[in-house]
Amino acid sequence: MFLALREIQRAKVRFILLVLAIGLLVFLVLFQIGLRDGLIGQFIGALRHQSAPVVVFDVQARKNIEGSRIDAGTQAALAQVSGVGRIGRLGESTFTVSNAVSRARATPKDQLVDAVLFGYEVTGPAAGLGAPTTLSKGHMPAGINEAVASERNRADGFDIGDVIHIEPGGADITVVGLAADINYSVSPTLFVSWDTFEAAKRVRNPDATAVLPSVMAVEPAAGVSVGVLVANLAAVPGVVPLSRADAVAQSPGVASVSQSLNTVIGLLVITALMVIGLFILILTVQKSASLTLMRAIGAHRRTLALTLVLQTTVVVLAGVIVGGAMMAAISPLLNSIGVSFDLVQLLVVGAGAIVVGWVGSLGAVLRVLRIEPINATVPQGMLR
Amino acid sequence: MRLAWLELRRRPGKFSVAVVTLTVLAALLLFLAGLLDGLFLGSTGALRAQRADVFVYSSTSRDSFLRSTITPDTRAAVEAVQGVDAVGGLSVTLLGAVVPGETELADVAVIGYELQPSGIPRPSGPGQAWADERLKGFGVGQGDTLLVGPAKTPITVVGFVADSNFQLQGGLWVQTDTWRQVQNQNRPDAPSAAGDVQVLLVQASPGQDAALLADRIDASTRVTSSLTKAEAENSLPGTKEQRTTFNSILATTYMVVVVIVALFFALLTLERTPLYGMLKAIGASSRQLFVGVILQAIIIATVAFAIGGGLVAALSAAAPPKLPLQVQASRIFTSYVILAVCAVIGSLLSLRRVSRIDPAQAIGTAQ
Repeated sequence: MFLALREIQRAKVRFILLVLAIGLLVFLVLFQIGLRDGLIGQFIGALRHQSAPVVVFDVQARKNIEGSRIDAGTQAALAQVSGVGRIGRLGESTFTVSNAVSRARATPKDQLVDAVLFGYEVTGPAAGLGAPTTLSKGHMPAGINEAVASERNRADGFDIGDVIHIEPGGADITVVGLAADINYSVSPTLFVSWDTFEAAKRVRNPDATAVLPSVMAVEPAAGVSVGVLVANLAAVPGVVPLSRADAVAQSPGVASVSQSLNTVIGLLVITALMVIGLFILILTVQKSASLTLMRAIGAHRRTLALTLVLQTTVVVLAGVIVGGAMMAAISPLLNSIGVSFDLVQLLVVGAGAIVVGWVGSLGAVLRVLRIEPINATVPQGMLR
Repeated sequence: MRLAWLELRRRPGKFSVAVVTLTVLAALLLFLAGLLDGLFLGSTGALRAQRADVFVYSSTSRDSFLRSTITPDTRAAVEAVQGVDAVGGLSVTLLGAVVPGETELADVAVIGYELQPSGIPRPSGPGQAWADERLKGFGVGQGDTLLVGPAKTPITVVGFVADSNFQLQGGLWVQTDTWRQVQNQNRPDAPSAAGDVQVLLVQASPGQDAALLADRIDASTRVTSSLTKAEAENSLPGTKEQRTTFNSILATTYMVVVVIVALFFALLTLERTPLYGMLKAIGASSRQLFVGVILQAIIIATVAFAIGGGLVAALSAAAPPKLPLQVQASRIFTSYVILAVCAVIGSLLSLRRVSRIDPAQAIGTAQ
C-alpha cells in the first residue's frame, strides 16, 4: 500500500496534473448541479412552495403561469367540478418596485427593482389557499398591503418591516413575514392578498377591464385524491389542471434547463471516466516492466491491483477536495443565480467520482492481473 | 516536424487517449456554445432585426417590453428631440396559438411594428402576419390562419421570415393595430389604448452617436429610459446572466483541456526521454524537438475538434426542435482556435522537461 503513496510522492507533476484535471471536472459537475438546482429553485420556488395541491392553467399558457389567465366563466365552471373542496384565485405578475435599499442608490435607473407578486385569497372560503408553505419568520398577510417576502432577498430591502412601493405611484406594501425558497423568475417575490395584487395590477394598467387570476388554486374535498381531482377538472374545456409537483416539473424552462444541464453533466462524467481510466492505464503500461519484476519476486496479483485501486482512490479524493474547495471559494459570488456550496452534494459527487475512478481504472487493473511473472525473465521484445 | 508527423501517422494508437478525451471535451464545448448561441439568438432575433439606433422604454418599465408604455405625447416629445430622424413603435405579446390540423399549441410572439426591420417585409394587411420559420416546426404553413391566445384572435400567415423570434417564441409580425387587437382581446388586464405602443424605436440622424442621443431623449422627455440597440438586446430577462454563466463554464472547460493536454504530454515526454536524448545526441536541438510536440498537440486538437464537431452536429440533428441548439460558424472557428491554443499551452508545460534532457544521461537510461 505504501508503494502507491510513495509513487505519488515521487512523480508529483504527473499526479498533480491528474488531480487538477479531476478537480476541475468535479468543480464543473458541482457547478452544473448547483446551477440546475439553483436556477430551477429560483425560477419556480414560489410554485413549489405554495399550499394549493392542484393548480389549474389556461390551456393557451402551455403550463406557464406568466402567460395564463382564467376568465370568469371558466372560474365558475371549475368551482362546480365534483371533488373540489376549496377553490381560489392565484395571480402572478412582475412589477417595478422601489424600497429603502434601492432608493439609496445613486442612479435613478438603479433605484427601481423588479419584484414578482403572487396574489392569493387571504379571506373567505378559500383563505390561505396558495399561501407560502415555508414561512420562517413573522406572519402571513392578514389583509391589504401586507406581504410575505422571499427570505433570500431580505438584505435587498425585503426584510420584515421593510416597505415596498409599487411603481409608478402605487401602494406601499409592508413585509410582515419571510419564507424560504419562494423566489420566482430569479426575482424577489412577495406573497400578498388578492386585493393587494389586483390593486397593483391596476397601477400599471388603470384601464384594465378585468384583473384575471393567472391560475386557480384548488384543494380536493375530503376523501378525494389529488389524482381524481385533476382528472375531474380536466373535463372543463380550455384548462390544464396539474398537481403541484407536476406543475413544477412541467413548468416551461424547468424541463429544458434540466435536460440541457444533465447532458452537460453526463458529458463531464464521461470525460472524468476517460481522464481517470486512460491516464491510469498509461501509467500502468509505462511501469509494466517494474510490475512484472515485482510479480517475479513474489508480489501477489491482488497486492498490485489493490495498490492501483488505492492510488486511484487517493488521486480522485484529492481531486474532489480541490474541486470542492474551488466551489466553496466561488459560491459566494454565485448567490445571485442561486448557486451555493452544499457539503452533502460534495459528498455525493465525491462518492460518485470514486466509483467513476474505480470503473475507469478497471482496464489498468485487468492489465495488472494479466501480468505473468515469467515475462520478467524474457528479454523485452521476445514476447511481442 | 517530420518526425512528429511520422510518429502520429505510424503510431496513432499512442495518441488515442488524448484524442478521445479531447473529442468529448470539444463536443462539450460546442454543445455549450451552441446552447448559449441558441438561447441568445432565439431570444433576441426580433431586436437584432431592427434598423434602429435607440430603443425608448417608459422609465418605470425596467426596460421590459411587457411593462413599458409609450403614449402619443411621449412619442411627440421624442420626435422633437434633436438628432432623431425617424421613430416607430414596437410592441410584443407572448401567447399560445392553435395551428390548423395540429393538436399541439405553438408558442408565438405577436409583434406589432412600424419601421421596417431588416429581412422582414413591410407590415401586411390587418389580421395578417409574417411568421418566423421556427413556427414551421409547429406545423404552420403559408396561408394558415392561427387562432391566437385565449380569445382565439385569427391571424393569417402570409409568408415566412428568418431569425426574428422573441424570447424563444416564434415571431408573428403584424401591423400595430392588429397587435393592439390581439393584446386587448387576450390581455384584458393590460389593455393598450389607441396610439400607445410598448417601445419606441428611433433612427438617428446621420453622424449621431446612439448613446448620446439616448441620453438626450431621456433628459428631454423625463419619462423614458432609452437604450442603444446592443443594450436593448442584453436587457432582455436572463440574457446577461445566461452569457456570464455559460462563459464561466466554457472557461473552466478550456482549463480542463489545458490540464489534460499537459498531463498527456508530460506522460509522453517521460516515455520519450531516452528517445529525445538519442535525438539530441545526434544533433537535434530542444527547439526542434519542441516544435514537434507543439505540432502533435495542434493535430490532436484538430482531429478531436473535427470528431467532436461531428458528434454535436449529429446531436443537433437528432435533438427536438425546441432545444435551442444553434452553433454559428464564427463560434466554431473561435472554439477551434481556443481549443488549439489551450492544447499548445498544455504542451508547453513539457517544455522544461524536454529542454532539460541531457543526451549522455538519456542514452545511459536507454541502455
